[in-house]
Amino acid sequence: MTSANKQIRAARYGMTIDVDRCNGCGACMVACSVENNVPPAHEGATDRKGLTWIRVYKVDNGEEYPDRRTAFVPVMCQHCGNETPCVHVCPQQAVDIDPATGVVGEMPQRCLGCRYCMAACPYHARYFNWWDPAWPAGMEKTLNPGVTPRMRGVVEKCNLCHGRWHAAKEAAAAAGKPDTEPVDYIPACAEACPTGAIHFGDLNDPASPVAMEAARAESFRLLEKLNTQPKIYYRSKKDWVREIAAAPQPGARKEKVHA
Amino acid sequence: MALGAGWLAFPRVLYRSRPEPVNFSHKIHADKAGAKCEDCHSFRDDGTFAGMPAIDKCAVCHAAPMGTTAAEKNFIDDYVTPNREPQWAAYARQPENVSFSHAAHVKPAKMACETCHGNTGTSDNLRPYQIDRISGYSRDIWKTPGTPHGMKMADCVSCHRQKGLEHSCLDCHK
Amino acid sequence: MKTNRREILMFAGGSAVGVLFTPAPWRLITDTALWSENWPGIPAPARGEIRARFTNCSLCTAGCAVRARCVGDQPVQLSGVSGHPLSHGALCPFGIVGHHLPYMPARVKEGPVKEAAAAVADGIAKCGPTEYVAMLDPRPARTASWTYRRAMAALKNGRYVAPSIDTSIAVDLSKVRTVLSFGVPVLDGWGTPGNVNVARAGFRLIQVEPVESRTASMADRWLRVRPGSEDALAQALAGQISHAAAADAAGLTVPEIAALAQELEQNGPVLVLGSSRLASTAGAVVARRETPAPEEWKKAAPAADLASLPDRSVRVLLIDESAPGGYLPWNAIEKKLVADNPVVVVFACSREGYARHANYVLPVGVYPEVADDIPPAIDSVVATFRIAAPLVSPPAGMVKPEAFVAAAAGLAIGDTLRERADAIHKAGRGTLFTYADAKSQALKDVSADNFWKALNAGGCWIDEPDSKPSAARLTTVASETRPAEESELPLAVVLTHELTPGSPLLSKVYRESNLRLAPGRVALNPSCGLDEDALAVFETLLGKCRVGVTLDAAIPPGVVQVSGSPALMDLCAAGARAKVVRV
Repeated sequence: MTSANKQIRAARYGMTIDVDRCNGCGACMVACSVENNVPPAHEGATDRKGLTWIRVYKVDNGEEYPDRRTAFVPVMCQHCGNETPCVHVCPQQAVDIDPATGVVGEMPQRCLGCRYCMAACPYHARYFNWWDPAWPAGMEKTLNPGVTPRMRGVVEKCNLCHGRWHAAKEAAAAAGKPDTEPVDYIPACAEACPTGAIHFGDLNDPASPVAMEAARAESFRLLEKLNTQPKIYYRSKKDWVREIAAAPQPGARKEKVHA
Repeated sequence: MALGAGWLAFPRVLYRSRPEPVNFSHKIHADKAGAKCEDCHSFRDDGTFAGMPAIDKCAVCHAAPMGTTAAEKNFIDDYVTPNREPQWAAYARQPENVSFSHAAHVKPAKMACETCHGNTGTSDNLRPYQIDRISGYSRDIWKTPGTPHGMKMADCVSCHRQKGLEHSCLDCHK
Repeated sequence: MKTNRREILMFAGGSAVGVLFTPAPWRLITDTALWSENWPGIPAPARGEIRARFTNCSLCTAGCAVRARCVGDQPVQLSGVSGHPLSHGALCPFGIVGHHLPYMPARVKEGPVKEAAAAVADGIAKCGPTEYVAMLDPRPARTASWTYRRAMAALKNGRYVAPSIDTSIAVDLSKVRTVLSFGVPVLDGWGTPGNVNVARAGFRLIQVEPVESRTASMADRWLRVRPGSEDALAQALAGQISHAAAADAAGLTVPEIAALAQELEQNGPVLVLGSSRLASTAGAVVARRETPAPEEWKKAAPAADLASLPDRSVRVLLIDESAPGGYLPWNAIEKKLVADNPVVVVFACSREGYARHANYVLPVGVYPEVADDIPPAIDSVVATFRIAAPLVSPPAGMVKPEAFVAAAAGLAIGDTLRERADAIHKAGRGTLFTYADAKSQALKDVSADNFWKALNAGGCWIDEPDSKPSAARLTTVASETRPAEESELPLAVVLTHELTPGSPLLSKVYRESNLRLAPGRVALNPSCGLDEDALAVFETLLGKCRVGVTLDAAIPPGVVQVSGSPALMDLCAAGARAKVVRV
């Protein structure tokens, strides 16, 4: 935000997601909702109006049996690093990109609910609170104190489990570690994935497994042609998955994407 | 008239006052018990701040009356014996969407408690809690004696800006 | 003095300007902004000390180890225990939200306990010479199951009924080279998920099913067969019918079946799941010692199959439905009940299961409120003992099924879990793995009291491998393929299972995305003529009920995929036929 900041070693938190390992179980979706106090679906919620900070999409190669192949792709906020679309369009400056961590942070308390950012996001990774959150009686006891519940009328999205980042920073401060170093923590989806498909780490740290995986040739990002420089890398040995991620023009190949 | 209403009547109407449940004297405990801030307002092992001490901390010494005041006897009868937590009102209570880390401010930044909490530690009694009827927060965090000073974001920002620690909204919000 | 309009306006104007020089309006703006942040009705999470507590998940026999992040004593988040020798730190989506079960809307909160006890006593007394008192236990092989068996043995006409699960055999995934699965969700809800992941690279999975499930999409080979033809294919591979006949029935080609047969021959050991026509090869299925139990318990009644009871012979039926698990369709049970006033008592965690058919529905504590043990998983080659240690207290008035049934049978019981743990400790073998420090130690080195404490604070007992292993008595793993039903109904039913009941937060995968089919819904090809989310009537030979419709182009025309809620399970089994019409 200002140029006169203290010298810190900036992190760029990102992920590598192995699409070949994802079995579409949805553990990440559920764990994310638990960590971030996302309420269960309202009466009127559908897959267009739901709140799923991370959502697993089922995609296929458009062929018929026996050549049909299916894959599952978890998609959350891609934390675009270049000309972040949602940051640009917000009239309230309720979103910003943190130079110290690379996280695109949404401030629901500042949001006025115009949903311009939802239109701007090329990944459909932003979700609107159409209704006030409601939990069944007693279930509010299970809310996570590290994250604020939102009211209706505001947009929310993945922030790479910033509540866990806060806790890690606090523990590092208490342990006397220097506050110029990035902290080590794991978001809920990466922790919950039973097949280990989601890996999280600092892309700026060349020694981290995530940075090494992201640098490999078979890693790709969604909609690379838009040059948003997202921090979520995907890996797959299947060429047709890479093609879907690049989203060619309709008709260029016979594909049915269940999005 | 408007000026009079604004400056004089409005503050009286806006705030509702209530006393703290127990008239605790920090001065007596600091002098006689030799207690420092962190003896009661301590950090847990994982670095989180324990905030107001729970009744079992008071019960360590006050299981039986240590002095002769009626206030202490009432405290033991009302809270220690039935093991009931006093409903303290924290002057510096922050909104739900704020993530404030005492550990980060006390340990690496080495800030003194008085910088934000003023002379609470040497005060003889607890001042009444003046609650803003609309926002629900305290009028004064008792940082500076004499001048009512609420805890606004601007105060945090000015110090952070000075220290060059202003990266992103989500540094302090959750 | 007389005031006129001009003076009033001037006064108002002056005040308005004046008030801007006071803090009042600015204060009102900021305060209402602050007020709007604390929007009424939005709960604020409770604060407190963050602690880790440990337990085991009792929602299925995987019994994965659970690390609960708690605020004070209240769990707010569950995750796996990394480094665990059985579950390897994995937890499925249902386990991740297991801590919400106490708050699920369909939970049974109260019931007529005294009346039920009186009715049961009455029914027992009235039993005729050929009538029975039956205890149905959908989750057998637990310590509570021993109590039920002992209770039924204590009655002169008691019968313990449970789905047949052979705990003396297990699957050794580390030795398996090929898995042939007839519709069993190997990679998504079978065995211990963490263990299957670890072993995955070592075997080739051939999934045989009519609709591409998640397991089929991850399998090395998916064989799409016509619904109901799995049995024919199994018979062909077992040499009971010709390849040509099976190819005809299944919609495959003869070379495909021949190639499959050859692969099974050459790439053993082969594990066959979902059909008892075909045996697994040696090494895939191994014998497993039973978890020790007190000697006095061994006089218990053996488990009986529901089918072995004569029709119209059960006067009193008790059902322990205190946790999500296998659901036996009601029509199979109903025909065993006597015609005149049978007494059916259900210990139910949810109103949506057998509670719909019972005379007395009694409330029970649910995971993670009550202690229960989890029998060893099918893919655990050694015996295990895990307790789902309670993390929260159950509400007042909950019934303990074990105590109720024992009292009804006049059987005196103590703390059965403690007695079981003591019997295991007496046997002296195996290791204790504790979760808080991820350490393993020999059971011999731990006192009985410390063993009990460790099991309740997050730990598990793991048997040591048998030094003289015997051959497995059976090599077929439970469950049968059934031939297709003959009827005029147009759609072939394919069942898919989700764990029910579950947390309301599972709406993320059911309703707020189209990842999983919610229990109580059916999926059809878009050519069926119904709209997405339409309300329809689902009808089989056994009855009808209302369902929600999901359209999915991956479902072939002529097939309806049914997500098995108890209401739908009552109407169909695999191989059934149905029709779905607009309401």
